[in-house]
Amino acid sequence: MGFGARVSFAFRSFFALLFSGSMPDDILESLRPASVPPPPAAPPTDEGDRAVQLLAILQRDGRLIDFFQEDIAPYDDAQVGAAARDVQTHCRAALARYLSFEPIVPEAEGDRVGVDAANDPARIKLIGAVSTGSAQQGVVQHRGWQVTRLALPPLPRENDRRIVAPAEIEVA
Amino acid sequence: MSAARYVVGIDLGTTNCAIASIDLAAESAPIELDTISQLVNPGEVAEGTLLPSFLYLPDAKDFPPGSTRLPWQEAPDAVVGELARRRGAERPGRLVASAKSWLCHSGVDRTGPILPWGSGEDTPRVSPLDASARYLEHLARAWEHRHGGQVRLSEQDVLVTVPASFDEAARELTLRAAAEAGLPAVRLLEEPQAAFYAWLDHLGDRWRDRVRIGDLVLVCDVGGGTTDFSLIAVSEVEGALALTRVAVGDHILLGGDNMDLALARLAQQRLEKAGHRVDPMQLQALWLQCRAAKEHLFEDPALDLQPVTLLGRGSKLVGGTITGDVLREDLERVIVEGFFPRVPADAEPARQRRVGLQELGLPYAADPAVTKQLARFLMRQAADAPGLEAIRRGKGGLAAPTHVLFNGGVMKAPALRARVLDTLNDWLTDQGCPVIAEDGVLEAPDLDRAVARGAAAYGRARLRDGVRIRGGSPRTYYIGIESAMPAVPGLDAPLKALCVVPFGMEEGTETIIPAREFGLVVGEPAEFRFLSSTVRKQDAPGALIEDWGDDLEEQEPLAVTLEGQGTAAEQVVPVRLEAKVTEVGTLELWCVSRNGSQRWKLELNIRERDR
Repeated sequence: MGFGARVSFAFRSFFALLFSGSMPDDILESLRPASVPPPPAAPPTDEGDRAVQLLAILQRDGRLIDFFQEDIAPYDDAQVGAAARDVQTHCRAALARYLSFEPIVPEAEGDRVGVDAANDPARIKLIGAVSTGSAQQGVVQHRGWQVTRLALPPLPRENDRRIVAPAEIEVA
Repeated sequence: MSAARYVVGIDLGTTNCAIASIDLAAESAPIELDTISQLVNPGEVAEGTLLPSFLYLPDAKDFPPGSTRLPWQEAPDAVVGELARRRGAERPGRLVASAKSWLCHSGVDRTGPILPWGSGEDTPRVSPLDASARYLEHLARAWEHRHGGQVRLSEQDVLVTVPASFDEAARELTLRAAAEAGLPAVRLLEEPQAAFYAWLDHLGDRWRDRVRIGDLVLVCDVGGGTTDFSLIAVSEVEGALALTRVAVGDHILLGGDNMDLALARLAQQRLEKAGHRVDPMQLQALWLQCRAAKEHLFEDPALDLQPVTLLGRGSKLVGGTITGDVLREDLERVIVEGFFPRVPADAEPARQRRVGLQELGLPYAADPAVTKQLARFLMRQAADAPGLEAIRRGKGGLAAPTHVLFNGGVMKAPALRARVLDTLNDWLTDQGCPVIAEDGVLEAPDLDRAVARGAAAYGRARLRDGVRIRGGSPRTYYIGIESAMPAVPGLDAPLKALCVVPFGMEEGTETIIPAREFGLVVGEPAEFRFLSSTVRKQDAPGALIEDWGDDLEEQEPLAVTLEGQGTAAEQVVPVRLEAKVTEVGTLELWCVSRNGSQRWKLELNIRERDR
């Protein structure tokens, strides 16, 4: 509150109490302790919503669900390959927009690396002749992937969160 | 204006807009290309470096409720940018595109609700002016949003670029669109000049090492929708290098979109010959794919072909997939030979068909050959303007550039730059002039966004006494005067043209048209026919010309009504004409009474014109 407003409130309160015994309403209102409004109730988020949303994005931009849902057995490899190339290009672009991936180990495939005993098996999976409880050496077979950025758009309206793609009807 | 914290350059393009700004508070701040928040999908706002110049007019069922919300607007009644382009491809009847081309098309009512062109009766419509205002408004809000919502764009020093070939009415309408968007004090700058400023900014002081006195720079700007040429001469003023824009081309509706569509049509024909059907939606997809294929092939000369794939619609994605190829030879034939043929300097582009029942719509260039349009432009600069003898000329009269500056997305392709240069060098050799060597090509980066950058650079140069291109009026302007000759039935009285604004008349100057008075009747609207020329540069104010062939082009008429001071009707007031080129880059014509005590402004009558 600015100085001028404080002076004005002080005088008005003084005379109001002196002559009428009550505080002006607008002063009471503005001095009421600011109660923090409860945050608007966020619609309940089902854990599946984000999964369906990602599928919807991959379908919208890359037709991925159409691709998975189609029986491709009758078509020759060239036909499948041509479609797959297009689906891959667009799904890749869609993923790049909303997510970033990075390998978990920086070394290249085929490099020899050391793994210490405190290794987290969720991050690095040891395979082959693994000995228990000691640091060991091995060759990188797969560098792993982790998501370093995830920026999905806001979820659609609650009722629409199971929709992967709308039906399309062309009006002639 | 002096209080502005930023100078902001806006490229209001035919297919894409861009915005760049410079923070004046920092001593040598770089030019920032500002990202533009826009809807890219329903419910999803993202930032892009370009704003596609598309306006979509949705109905209640187009998008789920609330999904067109912008950070600065809860429920916009129209969508601008990427989502507009996407949804518009699915429902073209509600999509406004190429508003800028409509803005300079005098055959239609540009302030009337005519867009989307040819849409159904139940569709809301906007005018080309409104659509341009919407883009500017979106750019303003997005720019303010990006700058934290604390600064207003209307309080900055804003420059909006227009094609050099924009006529007076189109410039006026661009200013009006800016005012409608809440930007009443913008300045206009010609796009080829802006591209040149981007180059100047890129080089810093080193630009003086690249050009010498007497040099002539051709700016060849081929964008998505238009082709625009300008010539900039390097001369000496008070011992320093000075730049003057000495010529601008005619408005040519020809650009990268035409080229991509030509490729897409070829691919479509080929697919249909193979027994496939390509529906309009698929043609859209094909168009995009052909553009990508074109860019890949131009970028990588080792590639022989690029596949294009149309996925099946519906659930038969793999089963319905059809494929084709865009071959390098297609590119050579359709784009390089079709749009950039190696023609002689006297090649005339095919002229606009003028048949009785011309289909209304945009007046696309009748000849798609950019090189022919360029030949015509350089040949038509034969007439010398006073003080511009410095223009280097070939023996056949061709204006002979010493340097080329390319601009626009199309000119990113090295093969097309090489073709333009080779063709130009053919002409120069024929005309007995030295050819343009490799270092004669002035390279500026980022051809898609150079115009926005250059506009901001120009804004800073204005404020800080930097290098500026002297331009002035890009055309010579005339008032039409009907000759006093006996009327012949069925024929218009022959028209003479009185020069009122000379070519290159500088911003912020005025001139009085000598030795001619007009009698105007008080209280009655007076209309003047108004003409312009981009090639007659030698006419001085007051010059009366006839027999101009096709050097002059008729513009919207000018109108004025003299308000009397309660005197009797039928009073005739003798007036002189006074012309002024304003600081923002537009033209004003005034009627001034004999004693100079009263002035009336002539207004362009921008409305549908009979062709």
